Amino acid sequence: MVDLSSTALSRRGLLGGLASGLVLAPADRLIGKPRTGGRIRVASIASSTADTLDPAKGNLSTDYLRHYLLYSGLTQYDSQVRGQPALAVSMETRDNVVWTIKLRSGVHFHNGKAFGADDVVYSLMRHRDAAVGSKVAAIAEQFASARANGKLEVELRLTGPNPDLPIILAAPQFLIVENGRRDFSVANGTGPFVLHAFSPGIRTVVRRNPNFWKPGKPYLDEIEVIAIPDELSRVNALLSGDVQMINAVSPGSVKRVRASSGHAIMETKSGLFTDLVMRRDHPVTGHPDFVLAMKYLMDRELIKRALFRGFATIGNDQPISPLDPYFNPDIPQRQFDPDRARFLLKRAGLLGTRLPVYVSPAANLSVDMGSILQEHAAQIGLKLAVNRVPSDGYWSTHWMKHPLTFGNVNPRPTADMMFSLFFQSKATANESGWNSPQFDKMLIEARQATDPARRKAIYGDMQWLVHNHGGVGVPVFISLLDGYDRRLRGLFPIPLGGFMGYTFGEHVWLDA
Amino acid sequence: MSAASPASPWRGPLTLIAKRVGMAFVTLVLVSAVIFTISGLLPGDAAQEVLGQGATPEQIAALRHEMGLDRPALLRYLEWLKGIASGDPGDSLVANMPVADIISERLPNTLVLAGLTTLFAVPIAFLIGIWSAVTRGRSADRALNLMTLAMVALPEFLVATIAVLVFSVKLLWLPSITIVPQDPTLGEFLRAYAMPVLVLGVGVIAQLGRMIRAAIIAELDRPYVEMARLKGVSPRRLIFRHVLPNAVGPIVNAMALSLSYLFGGAIIVETIFSYPGLASLMVNAVTSRDMPLLQACAMLFCATYLLLVLIADTVAILANPRLRQG
Amino acid sequence: MNVTSILRAVRRLPISGKVGLVLVLFWIAIAAIGPFIAPYPPGSFANEEVFAGSSGQFWLGSDFLGRDVLSRLLSGARFTVGLSAVAVTIAVCIGTGFALMAAVGPRWVDELLSRAMDTLISIPSKIFALVLVAAFGSSLVLLTLIIAITYVPGNFRIARSLAVGLVRLDYVEVARARGEGRLHLALVEVLPNMIKPLFADIGLRFVFIVLLLSGLSFLGLGLQPPDADLGSLVRENTSGLAEGALAIIAPAVAIASLTVGVNLLIDAATQGKAR
Repeated sequence: MVDLSSTALSRRGLLGGLASGLVLAPADRLIGKPRTGGRIRVASIASSTADTLDPAKGNLSTDYLRHYLLYSGLTQYDSQVRGQPALAVSMETRDNVVWTIKLRSGVHFHNGKAFGADDVVYSLMRHRDAAVGSKVAAIAEQFASARANGKLEVELRLTGPNPDLPIILAAPQFLIVENGRRDFSVANGTGPFVLHAFSPGIRTVVRRNPNFWKPGKPYLDEIEVIAIPDELSRVNALLSGDVQMINAVSPGSVKRVRASSGHAIMETKSGLFTDLVMRRDHPVTGHPDFVLAMKYLMDRELIKRALFRGFATIGNDQPISPLDPYFNPDIPQRQFDPDRARFLLKRAGLLGTRLPVYVSPAANLSVDMGSILQEHAAQIGLKLAVNRVPSDGYWSTHWMKHPLTFGNVNPRPTADMMFSLFFQSKATANESGWNSPQFDKMLIEARQATDPARRKAIYGDMQWLVHNHGGVGVPVFISLLDGYDRRLRGLFPIPLGGFMGYTFGEHVWLDA
Repeated sequence: MSAASPASPWRGPLTLIAKRVGMAFVTLVLVSAVIFTISGLLPGDAAQEVLGQGATPEQIAALRHEMGLDRPALLRYLEWLKGIASGDPGDSLVANMPVADIISERLPNTLVLAGLTTLFAVPIAFLIGIWSAVTRGRSADRALNLMTLAMVALPEFLVATIAVLVFSVKLLWLPSITIVPQDPTLGEFLRAYAMPVLVLGVGVIAQLGRMIRAAIIAELDRPYVEMARLKGVSPRRLIFRHVLPNAVGPIVNAMALSLSYLFGGAIIVETIFSYPGLASLMVNAVTSRDMPLLQACAMLFCATYLLLVLIADTVAILANPRLRQG
Repeated sequence: MNVTSILRAVRRLPISGKVGLVLVLFWIAIAAIGPFIAPYPPGSFANEEVFAGSSGQFWLGSDFLGRDVLSRLLSGARFTVGLSAVAVTIAVCIGTGFALMAAVGPRWVDELLSRAMDTLISIPSKIFALVLVAAFGSSLVLLTLIIAITYVPGNFRIARSLAVGLVRLDYVEVARARGEGRLHLALVEVLPNMIKPLFADIGLRFVFIVLLLSGLSFLGLGLQPPDADLGSLVRENTSGLAEGALAIIAPAVAIASLTVGVNLLIDAATQGKAR
């Protein structure tokens, strides 16, 4: 198995070592031979008129799901969130700045056009065009230039070193579209399925691509994707056989799904978390003692038990989950300690303070976490007023805009991405307004480091910094729960999202 | 308690219709102004909602410019008004599609659901209302009264969820979500719609049934009923020939309100059964701040409501001998 | 109205009316003293087990977070009872006030009010409330006002049709010919004669408001936690429905008994006078 998160290996360009029909580790463990044929319907959590066929605009889980069905990327994730070869057969670099990407030959778009270097150059560089409205425009800023060397080779030059490029390019927004494509009322990709029908906010129907570049795949004839926003209805639809797979099963429904003989739950441990955000620019929430007190006031065990029924991993007030290869296990776990919290608040003269904390269904379970926090705070003499606001408009008007809010951070494929998006001083989504020059310096240092051990050490120290001084409380990492019909085979978790990191389409088959 | 209309009855339904149509346009403009004003107070705008959490300020500014959101609100409103006056509701800010296309995809869904529910609920409501009225005060009436009250009192999402648990999950009789297959047979069609129609019907039957009962009882108290009874008119003939035509005003009015509710108020049923209708489209338009789409939905709901009320008033005049003859 | 006459009126009520009266009084009492007799604070995580059944310690079991259902019910009742009662009162006062103005006032007042009310009523109520809550927030006062405003047009419609019918009657014409002012016509001649049907409307409207509250909680709006009205209690515990948890049955029964009680009482009281 090629580890693309390791700089040494990708620098030597080992990525090309794998044959086209790549075998993923967990697949070995599966019983039974894949069977071709059959149609299934899957239900995701949300869809709207903003649903799109343009990968660059993909914003919601349902979009990712749709795009991975229709398009392929240069690389793709495996169960360890490493970038495996896909449309790229190898990615070579000496300095992590200039990358030579060799492309797979004999791949065709759904409309019959041959796939080549022009398509890759266009697909990568369009993210830098403001008119495209790309969701990853900030990441694509590091693409300095891309150039085609012949039909099947691309040279991508970055603005600075980034050893994680193969992982980044597996993201759903970087899926490859046809050179010059602007009209996304149809989808023309190289993915495992061909678009059959699409109505924004209603449904997507895709059918098997007989010319898919992975021989034998995909297995299913047809997949219909719909959305059922209400969790209870989603579970009911699964149990009544109207859909064969759903994501975002609430922990409370797991017992019901498991009680059905025809259905099962797939738990995907992930780096997803809901965090308490304490703004630095406010006299109370910016006070180090207050920040620490709130971290001690988080009853992580209760949150894990009551809110998640155990389907969570205890967090330690920093954003790198134990799943991540760069996770630092040496940081001691912060325990629930109301006495210590009370002591800290008293020392800071903040006991008896009255503060609103903003929660919203938009941030996964923040309403209930807020209630728990409020209850414990009341017991030590801190008055938190839970202010629940509608999902609608939460991210634009409340999140990060009040002293105490809750955020919700999706898993990111690399530690670099997590830190640069949410903790770097200048980042737009630097939730707490944290400003640590030391941290910023280490972030750049880690990117430049060519030795994996050195990177791990730096990332480890950065986790210490956030754990001790960062303005966010991370109580738990949330497991993603998918429910599925037992006849559906070939599933394994990919920690970036439900539905196998949204890429289930090409892997699964339906047992008769 | 008759459905008094602003137009005097002796001038006839035609004058009424002409006048109402004129007034309808005034109301529609008012609705659009209200919607525009309130939605201006909503936090965020379409550009922010489209780009999401990670957007850079430059991206938002660029998209805002492209959507035309950087122009004064009044100007945007007047332009929209000009468009709608020439029959063009504009393009969706979010979906890259003409609003008319989006609506025409959902409108048939809503019409079918509302239509089926009406066919199912109205006859039952009449049955309950009449039965309850003629047995007034007796045990049948009391039982029906209690039943309709309980039906009104249960939250719709609870009724829907219980129905799904029983009929879909437990018994596996009916689908838990409403997806109509292409070219369905009558059986498939009815099966697909059974659950949402049932759930929506519960509320409509209860409300309408109570209204019908009240309207008939109000008539039963009038002297002419006593006269007819003394003259030996059979109870059945009394109800259908004498009482119902007179009670028709309030009844059709109640029906108009129920139908208008079915048209735009089915948000919870649409959500639970994952049914793409107009109510969830309008909520979608609110959350994505898609002004042209939101306005179009509001116009549609308002026009439907006005049309239904107009039909109700016309029917009331035509059916009621007293009003007709003035 | 002294005590004996009230008692006599109560005694004259049919059985259904007495049942309604008992239910209404019961819920008013709960609303008043509920929070004081609740065994636990409504937000406390008293039970480790979620959706626990009835026990000596937790009479109505525990909810989806392990909170005491009885305590939450006792604390939540006052929101449903109080908020709905206040909102319905405001809605009826404004709606009927406008209706009287429309009936006795000059023609243009009627047209203006009717158009304004048509405007409001044609926007589906849940969506209207959703937009208002998103725009203005959902504090208790705002929520009450928003719900009241949502139900003004419905009341106006009914009250106006009643009032217009009454204004055409001879005795009002006589009063008008006598030279009585518009205020007198509205309050003395018209209003007393429409009280009865109006009350029937208030009963239904009360139910709608209780339901709208629960519908709003379905859409993620509604009261601020840890407070919850009865509808929200039903909503937040729907995941317990499949296992028949008391946490959802108890508040559903509470809503039903409250709304049915109010309507039974109103039905009986208004019919009683008719005979």
